Amino acid sequence: MKSKTAKRPIEILIVDDNPGDVRLTVEALKDGKVRNKLHTAHDGVEALSFLRRKGEYADAPLPDLILLDLNMPRMNGSQLLAEVKEDSALKHIPVVILTGSREIDDIIKTENLQADWYVTKPIDLEQFTRAVKSIIDFWLTTVKLQTEER
Amino acid sequence: MNQMLKMDQQIAKSEVMAREIKQSKELFRILFYRSPIGTYIIQNGHFQLVNRQLAYILGYEEDELIGRPSLGFVLAEDRDTVRENAVSMLKGGSSLGYEFRVVNKQAKIKWVMETVVPIYYRRKRATLGSLIDVTERKQMEERLKQITDEMQRSNTELEQFAYVISHDLQEPLRMVSSYTQLLAKRYSNKLDADADEFIAYAVDGAKRMQTLLHDLLDYSRVGTRGKPFSLVNCEHIVEQAMANLKIAIEECGASVSYDVLPTIMGDEGQLVRLFQNLIGNAIKFRREEAPQVNISAQRRNNTVTFSVKDNGIGIDPQHSQSIFEIFRRLHTREEYPGTGMGLAICKKIVERHGGHISVQSQPGQGSTFYFSVDMAGGEAE
Repeated sequence: MKSKTAKRPIEILIVDDNPGDVRLTVEALKDGKVRNKLHTAHDGVEALSFLRRKGEYADAPLPDLILLDLNMPRMNGSQLLAEVKEDSALKHIPVVILTGSREIDDIIKTENLQADWYVTKPIDLEQFTRAVKSIIDFWLTTVKLQTEER
Repeated sequence: MNQMLKMDQQIAKSEVMAREIKQSKELFRILFYRSPIGTYIIQNGHFQLVNRQLAYILGYEEDELIGRPSLGFVLAEDRDTVRENAVSMLKGGSSLGYEFRVVNKQAKIKWVMETVVPIYYRRKRATLGSLIDVTERKQMEERLKQITDEMQRSNTELEQFAYVISHDLQEPLRMVSSYTQLLAKRYSNKLDADADEFIAYAVDGAKRMQTLLHDLLDYSRVGTRGKPFSLVNCEHIVEQAMANLKIAIEECGASVSYDVLPTIMGDEGQLVRLFQNLIGNAIKFRREEAPQVNISAQRRNNTVTFSVKDNGIGIDPQHSQSIFEIFRRLHTREEYPGTGMGLAICKKIVERHGGHISVQSQPGQGSTFYFSVDMAGGEAE
């Protein structure tokens, strides 16, 4: 199981309406050691189509990890998160909320979010890169734990 | 002869009595009818006797009021209050200066203040009342309340505004800052020297703006995101502030001491911030010698005044007010870094705790910052 995950790249779905943030994440991931393949959705509706392989996403892979922004048009991050965690086909996918909002504590409390991890987008580039790397480390640990549990 | 004398005496006596009656009637007329206070007797809920001033307040002729139910002139919403006061008057003997509204003949509403006492009038229970027109004072009070409400609202709006802009500007700024940093990382030494310099200025500017926005956000949070007050031990607060400043204290060999400090009602996080800013400043603006900082407190009635005394570079007294304004700096960034928000945040925290902050200092002779806190925890709105 472990060797299998190591062979193929990690499929990451990043849900964010700001292309600047998406590109920064791409750049940060380039520096990392782990091979990855990045998919992008610009809001919750698009992300759900991707996850449920609707329409143009019929051949989309099921991601190993979802990076989720909170502030988005149409369906926002917390709405998408609720959908994912209620869907038996999707709820096992680790979701990391990656948000520009410094009010993350308030949001978690008021909306009772069920994400696996929360990261505030650091303003400094070095810190941003480090944050993205730590997300990948987090993911590797989660997968390892899940593998051991089986 | 004797009888004649007696008659004369009686005539004289009755003349005196008649004169006295006349005088007392006149006195009554003056005191009652000409009184500048509305005065009246009510029996079984109806006016029995009214003076000119009451009639004037209500906009009627005196005759028009006699025999009419007094409650009829009271504004419908206020009638229960007036009834309750009549009951409490019967129990307690009198009812002093309560306020309600009346409707006059011209259908204008007036605020009045009434005092009533129970009396006997023609051998039956009755009420003697006096009433003055307080409409003008009430209007002024209401205007004052409106102004206070408006000021409070605009103040809240301003805080909210500062909060929202400092928060929402972070997002685009993060783009500017991240990408200029990315440019610097990828392309420094690959373009020409000019490009390197330009990029360096852009990176620096974005970083400074981040710090400014960050501090502005903190400043607006004092009012909008403060925690409820609880009992806090100020010695623990100072210890926490010192722990947060550990590196700075060790680097310059500063000695920070404190006397016995009281327990007060306050916002713990904000009080730590307050002491941290003041101790931090005392260390930052030091002279050649190692900084010495002492914190003490003095209690007077319900107010505690804290002092934070240092042996630093001091402040020219002409700046002793302006240093508490936002973004106010007395030095260039090369001399001392910072955004000039530290003391503005201190001032806001102190004011939220019902106190004032000030400084006493001379250049080259150290500074002492004083701030007071309301011990009872009367949070300023």
